[in-house]
Amino acid sequence: MIEVKNISQSYSRQSDNETLSDINITVRENTITALVGANGAGKSTLLSVMTNLLPAKSGQVMLDGVDVRKIKTSEIAKKVAFLKQTHHLSIRITIKDLVEYGRFPHCGGRLKDADKEKVAEAITYMNLEDLVDKYLDEISGGQRQRAFIAMILAQDTPYIFLDEPLNNLDIKYSVEMMKIVGKLVSDLGKTVVVVLHDINFAAAYAGHIIAMKDGKVYKEGAPLDVITPEVLDPVFDHNFHITKHDGRPICLYYDHSMKHIHNHGDHVHMHEHPHEDSDVPHAHQKEVRSEIN
Amino acid sequence: MVRKLAQPLPKAGDNSIIGHMLNGIKSFFSKPANVRMVIVFLLLAAAIAGAVWLYIFSRTDLRLYRLGMTRDEAPPGAIESIMGRTLPALYAMAASAVVLAVISLSFQTIVQSRVLTPSMIGFDSVFVGTQTALVFVFGAGSILFADPYINYFITAGIMIVVSMVMFSFILRSGRNNIIFLLMFGLVLSGIIGSGTRYLQVIMNQSDFFQVQAATSVNINNMNTEIIGIAIPIMVVVVFATLWRHRRYDVMSLGSVQAKSLGIPYEREITINLVIIAIGMSVATALIGSLTFLGLLAVNSAREIMKTHKHLPLFIASAMMAALALILGEAVRVFFEWAIPVTVIINLVGCVYVFYLILKENKT
Repeated sequence: MIEVKNISQSYSRQSDNETLSDINITVRENTITALVGANGAGKSTLLSVMTNLLPAKSGQVMLDGVDVRKIKTSEIAKKVAFLKQTHHLSIRITIKDLVEYGRFPHCGGRLKDADKEKVAEAITYMNLEDLVDKYLDEISGGQRQRAFIAMILAQDTPYIFLDEPLNNLDIKYSVEMMKIVGKLVSDLGKTVVVVLHDINFAAAYAGHIIAMKDGKVYKEGAPLDVITPEVLDPVFDHNFHITKHDGRPICLYYDHSMKHIHNHGDHVHMHEHPHEDSDVPHAHQKEVRSEIN
Repeated sequence: MVRKLAQPLPKAGDNSIIGHMLNGIKSFFSKPANVRMVIVFLLLAAAIAGAVWLYIFSRTDLRLYRLGMTRDEAPPGAIESIMGRTLPALYAMAASAVVLAVISLSFQTIVQSRVLTPSMIGFDSVFVGTQTALVFVFGAGSILFADPYINYFITAGIMIVVSMVMFSFILRSGRNNIIFLLMFGLVLSGIIGSGTRYLQVIMNQSDFFQVQAATSVNINNMNTEIIGIAIPIMVVVVFATLWRHRRYDVMSLGSVQAKSLGIPYEREITINLVIIAIGMSVATALIGSLTFLGLLAVNSAREIMKTHKHLPLFIASAMMAALALILGEAVRVFFEWAIPVTVIINLVGCVYVFYLILKENKT
């Protein structure tokens, strides 16, 4: 069980500039918990604190009733696995070698037969048998992401933390990845905490959603309770329109002011300023792009 | 079941251990990559042995031949006296090459760069600075400066402190990027260098000459006095590093992933910085500054071994460094060239760094 108690965290010395303030949550077992929120809301920081990659400045993170700061790093690694956002490696390495590193917390790098079995299981589970001897730079982004998940599976921890696993994945691989994460929970009984940028993926796959704003938990609960205009509008500082599909909420979050823009072939005109042909819409597109970035 | 039946029946407790080892060796050699690795090591070892022979031959028989003598005609004690200088020189070259190669590789892993080595960010300037400060404060006659062992321990201690301060500042604040490290090293060696020069200008002349003698150590003027301590330190540094080779493997995945796999990253960095500072101080004190040897050795080992595993890389880097230094020096003595081998190593290393920087920038 992972409990977060009164966590506050700040990068700078000034205490008024907190990246996390007074966070209290309990991670639900055997569920996908999604952390959502705007950029800079503290999602990734919270994930790092929960896994003790970033030691908590005040407050406690309890892992099975013990403060994580009092547990050896190597012992934490047997219970908690963390996958970071980008997988830029400075080394050239095969999938098999990568997955074998997942056993490091258990065997210190000396793989015994039991460890090799776990590695083989993880590789089979992620459908990577044909690629085991391929180097990571020879395979697609989706396969690479699967290789890293296989490493985490080999690590064989009850808790898995994923920091934006859908980054740099196209829609097909994103859906594949979330299905895999779902299977980790339903088939293998894992507890997964995942930071997601796309709230619709959270709405579709998470069992529990934590919406964060300005370093605080704004609202947590089941998707139907969190994916509402009342919660999301202030969290993302944006107007949301929520609809439903198969009992799951779906967010439509395109800019409502865009309704006034009509698309005539290649040219974009705005109703209010019919004479300013290109300047305003371009400026607007730039804004949208910088938001996405 | 099938696998169990295929194995020979265990006879006694002892045999099973030997059998296990034999199986291990068999499975090791069943992989072509491992066979290739062993062949490379054997070739390198043979090349080093050849280089050592050439070095000794050039300094003894060849020199006598040039003087028109054979070994039998040599004045009594001449060979012994030459060997008395040749062997410590060989030990010193081997020890500093091995130490530099090993700490360069571990340094590259902790800073996640193939271009940097400890020498390149101004470690050697700390050595010169320490020597100058010792003489300036205590005088050239002081035992702190004059005794090679005490001098070494003080220098090593100061280098450890400086590197800890410097790297805790760089690595812990998360600003672990090459440009920042290089600039920091450049500025640091600039500051220490000008401070050193300032002290050397205002100190008295005899002290100045003493400092000059102590800091102008190079391959032609090795400080073999400390060989008695350099060899044990080399052994300790090499074993301390090789023993952690599996941790380096995991650390090459990056700090976050290494931590998540149970590596106490901050502690590892501290331990490594101490090892690196000890190694750098012994290599610099023995043979002077060899800026690019570590870089060349580590990167050529990577090219030859084609692996990311640190155990073979450590061994191959150490062998490459020893080979480059000893063979280079042997060839120089053989042809009686005036240019020291270190100049050539630095020249080649410089070009190679340009190549690496251009290559890394492309990807």
